[in-house]
Amino acid sequence: MGDSSNLDLISDLPQSIIESILTRLPIRDAVRTSFLSSKFRYRWAALTHLVFDEDCVPLSNDRALFEDKLINFITRALFLHQGPIHKFQLCTSYLQSCPEIDQWILFLSRKDIKELVLELGESEWIRIPSCLFKCNKLICLELFRCELDPPPTFKGFMCLKTLNLYQVFVASDAIESLISSCPLLENLSLSYSDSLTLNIYAPNLKYLCLEGEFKDICLQNTPLLIAMSVAMYMTEDIAEHMQQSSSCNFIKLLGSVPYLEKLTGRIYFTKYLSIGDDRGRLSVTYSHLKIIELYQVSFEDMKEILVVLHLITNSPNLKELQISGSSNTLAAMEATDLDFWDKECPSPCLFERLKVVKMTEMSGVPHEMEFIKFLLERSPVLEVMSIMPCPSVMDGRLNMLIELVRFRRASARAEILFIQC
Amino acid sequence: MSEAVIAVVKPEMKSYIWLQTADGSIQQVEEEVAVFCPMICREVIQTGMGSSKNYAISLPQRVNPAILGLVLDYCRFHQVPGRSNKERKNFDEKFIRMDTKRLCELTSAADSLQLKPLVDITSRALARIIEGKTPEEIRETFHLPDDLTEEEKLEPLRNITADPRIRLLNRLYARKRKELKEREKLKNVEIVEEQLDDRSVDDLLSFINGGDGDTKGARTNRSKKKNRRRKDQSKVVTSLCVCAGASMLHDLSSACHVGKVSNGLLASSSTCSKFQDSAVMSFSPKVEFDDGDIDDGIDPAMKEELDREVEDFARRLNSDWPERMQEILSLGQERRCRPEVMNQW
Repeated sequence: MGDSSNLDLISDLPQSIIESILTRLPIRDAVRTSFLSSKFRYRWAALTHLVFDEDCVPLSNDRALFEDKLINFITRALFLHQGPIHKFQLCTSYLQSCPEIDQWILFLSRKDIKELVLELGESEWIRIPSCLFKCNKLICLELFRCELDPPPTFKGFMCLKTLNLYQVFVASDAIESLISSCPLLENLSLSYSDSLTLNIYAPNLKYLCLEGEFKDICLQNTPLLIAMSVAMYMTEDIAEHMQQSSSCNFIKLLGSVPYLEKLTGRIYFTKYLSIGDDRGRLSVTYSHLKIIELYQVSFEDMKEILVVLHLITNSPNLKELQISGSSNTLAAMEATDLDFWDKECPSPCLFERLKVVKMTEMSGVPHEMEFIKFLLERSPVLEVMSIMPCPSVMDGRLNMLIELVRFRRASARAEILFIQC
Repeated sequence: MSEAVIAVVKPEMKSYIWLQTADGSIQQVEEEVAVFCPMICREVIQTGMGSSKNYAISLPQRVNPAILGLVLDYCRFHQVPGRSNKERKNFDEKFIRMDTKRLCELTSAADSLQLKPLVDITSRALARIIEGKTPEEIRETFHLPDDLTEEEKLEPLRNITADPRIRLLNRLYARKRKELKEREKLKNVEIVEEQLDDRSVDDLLSFINGGDGDTKGARTNRSKKKNRRRKDQSKVVTSLCVCAGASMLHDLSSACHVGKVSNGLLASSSTCSKFQDSAVMSFSPKVEFDDGDIDDGIDPAMKEELDREVEDFARRLNSDWPERMQEILSLGQERRCRPEVMNQW
């Protein structure tokens, strides 16, 4: 073949490039490069990012055999691996809890693991072994559907910046102490770990995402929070329990987040905020808050719309507002107190930066229309007001339009978009 | 009064950086384009080089002028701040459409210039080329030598099966490899032996006169020994004789070509006997080792098959030797060697 080393295009590239290429291949193809030539032999074994899923082994109808093959593949790959492993990701619904997982995590804990993502099948939740808590170089941890039980001697992940727990079975105090013992924590996401009472103490936290049935949430110390997304699933008894307590949820959640830039509240968020004793006006100004998205706001509940009013009047730099209604039409139609908006809002109160407003799921009930009118009158730089009626409302649309056309607009540039669906 | 319109064109005050590639050629590039590469930027800032032709910045060896042109095209596009992400993405996708060789060179150059975004898109393109291809296809695309043995290719992921056929195959290949190694070793031994040839002229003379007989004798000796060994039922022994035969043959043919028949024949016959002595000596421990090696895990039927196969192979080789030897000897003695010998005397 002549001087083959001259013709060879790729084997002599530096290891960092080979790693860059092999990391972008599915792990099965990366391992197979070991068969190519002597220079490629075991080069994949130095990869620091290992991502496994069910494509690692050929498909097979026999479920148990497939599981075995996959487990073998992962075990062999780990066994042949050399050097540190910085990222390990395993996402497949074909694997349930199996004893090998404990050994894999133990192996990884000795390999300076920095990022660990584990998402397995749904029928059996794995119990995370205690060796996970010895991975003291962890920067990012994502766990799906498992049981987490930190040992009492656990002092925290000193380097952890991202924690993402989805359907994880963990006790309230365990998760609280886990969060507070990770001093560098910046991203926290807790989904569907139900019935938690949370006091979040995270001085460096920037991004927070909470979703599920929480009994109580209190942002005790999150001064640097930039973005927050909360979806509160509330049952009747939780709501009752909250009514009886005297603490104000609004203050508990939004009392000390001065740098907040984006707020997203889903499901019963505004209802949750409305519960609790208000004790007069809030004094917090959210001078960085630019985007507010609120879903399932029921405009017939005066407390809820008071919450909305509070939020927008205390955010002088608000640029974008999105509200999705969920009004019980019958109850809402009997609305009284329609000058509520002007009454409660201190004048002159202008939304001087508000440019975009999106109202969705509008049923055309009086308070919704009053709110739109209120916004149009007080937003001098508004550019777009888009309104999407609720799909189930067919008859009221014409009336909505008639009212909309009448409203005065403070901004000459404002476009009103009525989006049919 | 006519108004003469004079157009005043201000020369653009652009600064240029001088770059020198490994082949010695020097290029001039706009500064804002060149410093998009971290390595060049650092050179300019830290050492102040690049401001004139004499002080051109030397680029790493992996950057040749054609590839440098490509890199600079990339820099020229991306250093403009106002472009949207979509524009950049579109440019990147069109940019990496090139043949594989160029792509590899570009990756290498981008890496040596520390231009990470370019390394990323080229690596991604290379990964896309590799993904889904069979090993043969990948070897062809990148001109990789197929220099792994079959056994190496089988391990490690397939070693996990207890498949007896694979283990048999592994064992066969192990034996063949051993044979090859022995052959190599004997060749080396023989080369060493040849150098110790210090016979006198008289010896040479006497040998030439009795030359034919000796070689024949040597041949018979060898075959006798061969037969005896075959009776021992040791495969490696027979194949070693094969090796011995092969190197003998090699020896004789080279002797004929060179014309130094006398020396060659003498040398080869003596080495032949020395050969076999050393062969016998080095053998016995190996035979034992080998026997011990046989007995794990393979059932007797397979073992029989294995024995038969390797013997077959050895026999095939061995049967050729006597005829070939005769052929070459006759060739040598009749055509070239005799006339030359005559000439010397």
